[in-house]
Amino acid sequence: MPASIQSFEAGPLVQVRDLHTRLGGKMIFDGLSLDVPRGSVTAIMGPSGTGKTTLLRHVTGQLRAESGSVHVNGEDVARLSRNALFALREKIGFLFQNSALLTDFNVFENVAFPLRQHARLPEVLIRNIVLTKLQAVGLRGAATLMPSELSGGMARRVALARAIVFDPMLILYDEPFVGLDPIALNQVLRLISTLNKTLGITSILVAHELAAVRRVADHVYLIANGKLVAQGAPEELARQDSPWTRQFFGGEADGPVPFHYPAPDYASELGFAR
Amino acid sequence: MTSRPSYAIGTGLFILLGFAALAYLATQTTSVANVHQGHSYLLKARFSNIGQLKERAPVKIAGVRVGSVQSVQLERGKMDALVTLAIDDKYDDIPDDSGAAIFTSGLLGDQYVGLQPGGSPDNLKNGDEIVLTQSAMQLEDLIGKFLVNGGPKGSSSGSSTSPKSASSGG
Amino acid sequence: MNAILRRRWLLNGIAQIGECGLFFLDILVALPKSLRHFRETCRQVWFVGAMSLVIVMTCGLFVGMVLALQLYYTLSIFGGTAALGTVVALSLFRELGPVVTALLFAGRAGTAVTAEIGLMRATDQIEAMEMMAVDPIAYVVAPRYLAGVIAMPLLMCLFNALGILGGHLVGVTWLGVDNGTFWGNMTSTVDLWKDIIDGVWKSLAFGAVVTLIAVFQGYNAPPTSEGVAYSTTRTVVFSAIVILAVDFVMTAFLT
Repeated sequence: MPASIQSFEAGPLVQVRDLHTRLGGKMIFDGLSLDVPRGSVTAIMGPSGTGKTTLLRHVTGQLRAESGSVHVNGEDVARLSRNALFALREKIGFLFQNSALLTDFNVFENVAFPLRQHARLPEVLIRNIVLTKLQAVGLRGAATLMPSELSGGMARRVALARAIVFDPMLILYDEPFVGLDPIALNQVLRLISTLNKTLGITSILVAHELAAVRRVADHVYLIANGKLVAQGAPEELARQDSPWTRQFFGGEADGPVPFHYPAPDYASELGFAR
Repeated sequence: MTSRPSYAIGTGLFILLGFAALAYLATQTTSVANVHQGHSYLLKARFSNIGQLKERAPVKIAGVRVGSVQSVQLERGKMDALVTLAIDDKYDDIPDDSGAAIFTSGLLGDQYVGLQPGGSPDNLKNGDEIVLTQSAMQLEDLIGKFLVNGGPKGSSSGSSTSPKSASSGG
Repeated sequence: MNAILRRRWLLNGIAQIGECGLFFLDILVALPKSLRHFRETCRQVWFVGAMSLVIVMTCGLFVGMVLALQLYYTLSIFGGTAALGTVVALSLFRELGPVVTALLFAGRAGTAVTAEIGLMRATDQIEAMEMMAVDPIAYVVAPRYLAGVIAMPLLMCLFNALGILGGHLVGVTWLGVDNGTFWGNMTSTVDLWKDIIDGVWKSLAFGAVVTLIAVFQGYNAPPTSEGVAYSTTRTVVFSAIVILAVDFVMTAFLT
């Protein structure tokens, strides 16, 4: 491991400061700041369309902010050259919402893909690494299946095996629980906490499922309207009495997040107003 | 890399097939085999009118192809067409009093240079000129003459159109 | 209102051409890197080539047969059926071979490439590659581009060969043109460099533009099922227009 990681050991792994982003003319982040401590599982929650996935893209450097900064492991992501950015990404695992397995390859080759692209390793070693990772997600037996033959939960576990094949320092989970049955959901949950506890991998989790998040997350950030509206440990946050937490954790249909999309006055649009 | 992937063989076959097709086209549909069979020597011939004779047109003796037209130029000063003929080396016994004429294959076919062998004991060599030449027969001229001389109608209309139409066409 | 719309449409068109040009530069930059993925390029040549092989060969045969049939009747008016071999060969080599192969290629392989890359985009595979620090232009786009440029002239040669055979079948076997006349006239007129190799240049150019359009449309397809369908259609439409336009320009310059 390079020395730079040692020297920043003390600070948070991901540091977002006063982030402003605009996508297609729409304000996404309006001065967002948050920290992700090393070795933690941090959940980002919020209503749909608040840019939680966008935040992950800032962390990986796919998007550049209008102003503000995102530091990962002490490096300003927006200022990295393309090569440095790719070097950083090798240390970040990303779990996509729809798994994003390469349809041309079978499970084994999908997990082996990053290894083959970045490291000139002997075939025996690649085989051992891949089988170890597949064993970790419980799918060693499925190595020869094609992605089209996998269920949603299995595909997600394969994607997870692929994300950890380089033993990353950070894993970003984009909606890892969507569309899973309770069994698959529990399997994924168990994997997230195992990876975090046994390997010490820092995790950022974007999710809607409160019950699931409560079981793994150390810290929760609640984002709405481009700003941080609440934060804290899951239990603590659920007890907080702000309109945002009440609506989000209570699941109320109307509140700070309005039920109605902004529209002109109802009566006048129907022609009843004088 | 232990087992060769099946698509590698397929790709190889496809590429070979493509090049085989190219080789087939190059050898079977062109005269590339004839052209590159041997070297050739050059002869010159002047014509007052070459009609539609073009570069690469065949040169024939008694109907057998012996070479091709290499270039067609207008000779400055004389206002003659200077045609350079490339004759295959193996036909090195063409008498130096041979004549050259421009013929048309068929009524509307391509034009070619026909050589009529003479009787001289000396042969033409590289760079020599064929002195005895006969220009291309112009179909338009023939029709014009027919209209002027033997046509059933009046005589004035045909002669004025013939020089113009001779230069166009092709 | 109409004028504004029209101007916007025009500007969009120009912007598309510009983006396509920049994308081409991206591919060129990524080409050396993509040579590391040589196996991938090899695989794509197989996919793109094999995909179009049957259709190109079948169509080549039929085009040759139709050409012989049509030209025989035209030539017989002038009593020039002896030139049948020449005319069939020249029409194929100089014009129909490159153009029809390119159109077939756009319809068969071009759409497949667009749909494949578009679906990879829609299912986040492209993004996943970026995240795994693999340049998708070097890994996905450049090999397919290279494969298209390599496959097109080879397919055209096959098309021409089958076309000549088809012409021979109709002209000699069926319509009774003398076998020796058919081949003899052809070989004395067709020139390797001016006719066949010029066709290969054309074909290379068509391969370059058709595959560029296909990968560009796929890479920039909106990540939805309608988006991919729409981009696939655009690949065919744009390819057809560009093939014929490039054909005109190249014919004007080559002859």
